[in-house]
Amino acid sequence: MLKGAAAVEMSLQQGSQPKFYANGVGRRRAEREGGARLDNKLQSGKSNSNRSSAVVGAKVGVYESPSRDRLVYLLTCLIGHPVEVHLKNGCICSGTYYTTNVEKEFAIVLKMARMTKDVSFRGQKAETLSKAPSKSLIIPGKEVVQVIAKDVSVTMDGINHELQCEKQQELMIDSFISQSRHVEVERELEPWVPDEDDRQCPELENIFDGPWNRGWDQFETNEMLFGVKSTFDEELYTTKLKRGPDMRELEKEATRIAREIEGEDTQDLHLAEERGIHLHENLDIDEETRFSSVYRGIGIDDSGYDETEDIMLDSHNNETFGATSVSYTIEPEDLTHGKSNEGARVLSSSSLDEAQCSQSCTGADCDTGSCEYARQLASEIPLKSLSTSGCESRIQENLHGEHEGNDSVKEFVEERTVEEAQLLTREDSQSLNGKKDGSDKGALSPNATAYAPSNASSKSYEKTSSCAELSEGSLSVKGAREVQPLNSRGRPGSSTSSNSDCVGAVSVSNGPGLSPSSSVGSLSSEKSTLNPHAKEFKLNPNAKSFTPSQTPVRPPSPDGSFYFQPNVPSLPHMHGMPMGIGIGPSFTGHQPVIFNPQVAALQTPQAYFHPGGPQYGQNMLLGHPRQVLYMPSYQPEMPYKGREF
Amino acid sequence: MEGSNNSEDFAVGCLLSIKTTLGDEFDGQVITFDRPSNILVLQEGSKPGPRRNIRFLKANYIKEFSFLGQADDPLDVKKCYIDLHTLQAREELALRQAEAEAERIGVGVTAEAQSIFDALSKTLPVRWDKTVIVVMNEVRVSSPYLPDSVSGGTSVANERVKKVIEFERKRLQARGASQ
Repeated sequence: MLKGAAAVEMSLQQGSQPKFYANGVGRRRAEREGGARLDNKLQSGKSNSNRSSAVVGAKVGVYESPSRDRLVYLLTCLIGHPVEVHLKNGCICSGTYYTTNVEKEFAIVLKMARMTKDVSFRGQKAETLSKAPSKSLIIPGKEVVQVIAKDVSVTMDGINHELQCEKQQELMIDSFISQSRHVEVERELEPWVPDEDDRQCPELENIFDGPWNRGWDQFETNEMLFGVKSTFDEELYTTKLKRGPDMRELEKEATRIAREIEGEDTQDLHLAEERGIHLHENLDIDEETRFSSVYRGIGIDDSGYDETEDIMLDSHNNETFGATSVSYTIEPEDLTHGKSNEGARVLSSSSLDEAQCSQSCTGADCDTGSCEYARQLASEIPLKSLSTSGCESRIQENLHGEHEGNDSVKEFVEERTVEEAQLLTREDSQSLNGKKDGSDKGALSPNATAYAPSNASSKSYEKTSSCAELSEGSLSVKGAREVQPLNSRGRPGSSTSSNSDCVGAVSVSNGPGLSPSSSVGSLSSEKSTLNPHAKEFKLNPNAKSFTPSQTPVRPPSPDGSFYFQPNVPSLPHMHGMPMGIGIGPSFTGHQPVIFNPQVAALQTPQAYFHPGGPQYGQNMLLGHPRQVLYMPSYQPEMPYKGREF
Repeated sequence: MEGSNNSEDFAVGCLLSIKTTLGDEFDGQVITFDRPSNILVLQEGSKPGPRRNIRFLKANYIKEFSFLGQADDPLDVKKCYIDLHTLQAREELALRQAEAEAERIGVGVTAEAQSIFDALSKTLPVRWDKTVIVVMNEVRVSSPYLPDSVSGGTSVANERVKKVIEFERKRLQARGASQ
């Protein structure tokens, strides 16, 4: 074993002093003879003095000198581990353990060692100068009192684990930083079982029953116990009730309205849930859609920019603000002409139902869907009562028609094409009904799909053209019928949300319990909110949709001569000052930037600095192909020479 | 594991309380005792698991000790094997880390200087150049490491370093005063 140990040490120290184990062999033999127990297996291994493998991978088993073996084993475990060596004189050396000559006097070799406690200097603490750590420190055995090592792994697993940890520490990956270093064993998790005598929380069962019946007033109790007076005033939080002779009447009326509202059918998931209406039970709607407050239409494709959101928002806005948010107007004349896209709410007579669909589908559940769109109607028709009433009658007509047509159209996306088909072909209620048949659908669906939300990415131009196409198609298809072009159906592009209104908001939420008259009545009172002077919206079929440019703001101009950083205010005080440094923190880490105060000449013949350089301060160009230099001394007028504004 | 060198006092696994001639006192469990070198190896702490605190004590420095009890062998012999390569890897790693740390320590500088260096290194790239602290490869701070000893670099950088030094000194003073 000693030989093995010696071999180990030999392998560890490349160029170590041979004297450490000069006598190893001799000693070993002597011991062996005197040893009480010999393990034959190991003996054969040990007889070979040069076999380091005797110790490598060899299990420490029963030796004639087991304690010595243990000692050696433990010392070996220390290799590479930080240790503290206490010396006779009281000093303490810290360093990475390297080896010991176990055979002789137990001298200890440390690498990168430092005296952490040096008692040789007394009373001169303030002046003590630090010393460089010794690359290699040999401590004579007789000086050694003890060697202390903390957190030593004595098993292979431990050592491996430790190594892993250390390696990870070097890399400092985030997952390691966040973990505790010493968590080695996880607890075995067991399911919680209640105690035998737990009462199964009996009070929970009836804890919410009839709070008004409990005969306990919390405020009273509180006041009594703690003298806390409640200052709650209901009227602070809600409308003051007019209690008077009319109270009963008002109450009845209020209840009626409430019932009406609550009994409404709705397409909005959230409202439906509140009212106990189960919508889309078989549809695969994720939790977020069901319970989130972020409103999206059902089945909205979130993969790209979705104009639907705008539609929804717009209708929401209208709902909230009573259609005052509509800023564009549509000439009633245009309504009946197949004008290309007047904006989402083109209210050709045909688009009445469309509008109806569009408005109501946003889930804006005002009192009735028709009311909603009627309102829309109103908003879009500038105070022309004639057209309004015309529309109104239309509304009524279409309402009924729509009912049947729309009853089955509860879904959004899937039915969208159907509805588009409906709306496109529109016109009279019969046609609405008839819309559902295959021919219509067939004719329109190819076009209709062009509008599908998934096409949100296509350019507006295309969409517009497809709009036109659609209308034409519909025109041609419905030769007999008067097809009101619904170019507004298309989604002209992300920039025009108005257009998207039509298409996106396609769900129809006409409930059977509509009272058109009442809604229309209210409609007439709301139509005055339009801005008569607003410019008419005309779709520009050639307009390109806007997408933010991905290119960097700064063009990497090869010659760079005229690169001009718009924010020039910093220029004035760049005088003789490196902008980069002025930005404090930008300093650190910008290693490649060479701040060379002695640079005398510019790289380029042009008499001003590198546009990409730190002169502008805002951008530190690192790794710029041209060497980034900063010129502390440049002629003041330089920056402006040749600059093109 | 009791072999031929089973000393009555230092049996493997027994718990001892020891006082050294240097004044150290501690408790530990005997892992092994090597007669020829007179080294007693103790395990301290009761942390279960592969990591332990180990102390190698030369028995001749034991002033007194008392027997606390007898427990099982703390070393599971079956698991005791070592892979040299792993060890070497660990050693290299440790040396690398130690060297990196050594870079940060100035040679021949006072502790105060070192603490200023440490403070600066928190936010600025610093290195030692003998006894001069070099910040950002530009600004040099030499002994006695006062705001006045800052030289070089651009005025902005210079100012910055001065401020940091000032601040650090104040902090050190405050800390020193409170101690």
